[in-house]
Amino acid sequence: MWYKKHLLVYKRKAHGLKRRQLGGGRITNPNWLELFPDRIKSILLALPRELLGKLEEVRIREGRPLEVNESGGHRFVTGQGQLTLDEDKAYRPNRDDSRRFLDLISNHSLYTLEEELRKGFITVPGGHRIGLAGRTVLAGGKVEHIRDISGFNIRIAREIRGAANAVLPFLYDERERRMKHALILSPPQHGKTTLLRDLARQISSGSIGATFAKAAGMKVAIIDERSEIAGSVNGVPSFDVGSRTDVMDACPKAEGMMMMIRSMSPDVLIVDEIGREEDAEAVTEALHAGISVIASAHGSGPEELRNRPAMKRLMDDRMFEAYVMLHRSRGKTVFRVMDRQMRLLQLQAKGEAHHA
Amino acid sequence: MLKLFGAVLILLSGTLAGFHQAARFAARPKQIRELILAMQRLETEISYGFTPLPDAFRRLAGQLGEPLRSIFRSAASHMASGSGITAQESIQRSLHDNWKRTAMKAPERDILHQLSFTLGTSDRQDQIKHIALAAQQLKHEEALARDEQAKYEKISRSLGLLIGALIVILIF
Repeated sequence: MWYKKHLLVYKRKAHGLKRRQLGGGRITNPNWLELFPDRIKSILLALPRELLGKLEEVRIREGRPLEVNESGGHRFVTGQGQLTLDEDKAYRPNRDDSRRFLDLISNHSLYTLEEELRKGFITVPGGHRIGLAGRTVLAGGKVEHIRDISGFNIRIAREIRGAANAVLPFLYDERERRMKHALILSPPQHGKTTLLRDLARQISSGSIGATFAKAAGMKVAIIDERSEIAGSVNGVPSFDVGSRTDVMDACPKAEGMMMMIRSMSPDVLIVDEIGREEDAEAVTEALHAGISVIASAHGSGPEELRNRPAMKRLMDDRMFEAYVMLHRSRGKTVFRVMDRQMRLLQLQAKGEAHHA
Repeated sequence: MLKLFGAVLILLSGTLAGFHQAARFAARPKQIRELILAMQRLETEISYGFTPLPDAFRRLAGQLGEPLRSIFRSAASHMASGSGITAQESIQRSLHDNWKRTAMKAPERDILHQLSFTLGTSDRQDQIKHIALAAQQLKHEEALARDEQAKYEKISRSLGLLIGALIVILIF
């Protein structure tokens, strides 16, 4: 298999990795380096190992410096694998590098990725996502696909088991033995998706919080429009999202919610980044059907959310029983929980977390 | 006695060489035909099946006979090897390794070589166009190969025997 060769290197590094896993989260596909063409792979392998385990993004732009990002900020990488902020010293991937990279991530078959090219990203085994930029081809005014792809953003996925530990007790209604309808709010890259993923895992496996009596697992349905929560490849989740979880991958949220309600009889619906009119309608529908909805939305607080008509209506109707606000600063994620009437319930630090 | 034995030997080998040459003339259009069919199957795999190239090649290899089978099979294994080589390099490497075993000539090889630059690197419509173009060119080569076969197959068979005879006459 394609990852075997790299396994040796990985084994050699296992010692270093163990230490990093504590803070960095579990990398589900440690062989993400295998995605890169030889030249870039050897450059990345020469990076300090401490950093390699913390990388969040690798950016390849044809003719421009190779860039790596971790939570601290961005750096360029030289041809010898040294970090630099000097553009002139950095390694510049050429046309051959990007062509090779595209060939490798598409399994030599770009034509199988038409849908992905329309959306602008590819999900590869391990749940890593590769964003693409290039020249678009239009058909009927809509983006048909991207050609001349010259910009890649490799977002390295990590799952953090236990990310939801602290939040979960607030979202469980002990008397009625069900999950509350909840809305998770945060700016991008503050750990919404990571939280949703761990919520799905814990709810579906029934280990609801450490302090609670072990409840039976619930049926969870995830609508994963951007393949971020479950990182599905060929319809099978790359992340552990729990044994009683169904995933509708790459499906428009509103439609997906309705499909799940009709066909999969879930107890809990989990959906990422709602905001449009039809999303709100589907959420309302689910709530009336007696299905708990845990959704997330962009925004730093409820005030911001009120600017969006669809969300305002949901809030005015008091559809959600709990609001969770996430904020990440200096590697620490802080969350606040508010109830239906927007009363603050709890303020707590959740410890180190990374986006996924 | 020994002389007679040598003469028979030369005649025999001349004849065999002639037959071998004739067989190559006969095999070439047959193999080109098979290659055209393979192209059409590849087109189907890509346009309807969305099959990734390594899988499509492996499937083609399963349906084809030697020597075409090994061309597709080794290209597929190069692609799946995970050593970071592209589809283009895989195909070219496989052509280089296996081409000698076929009865086909340089034009067909060039067509496949040309195709390797585009296979897997564009959307479906584009892929289909390129494959269809390759098939078209192969058909042209097939027609030429058939002409050659009609012209030279019988000649080379008798020519082998005659050259054998000529050498025998010259030696004696």
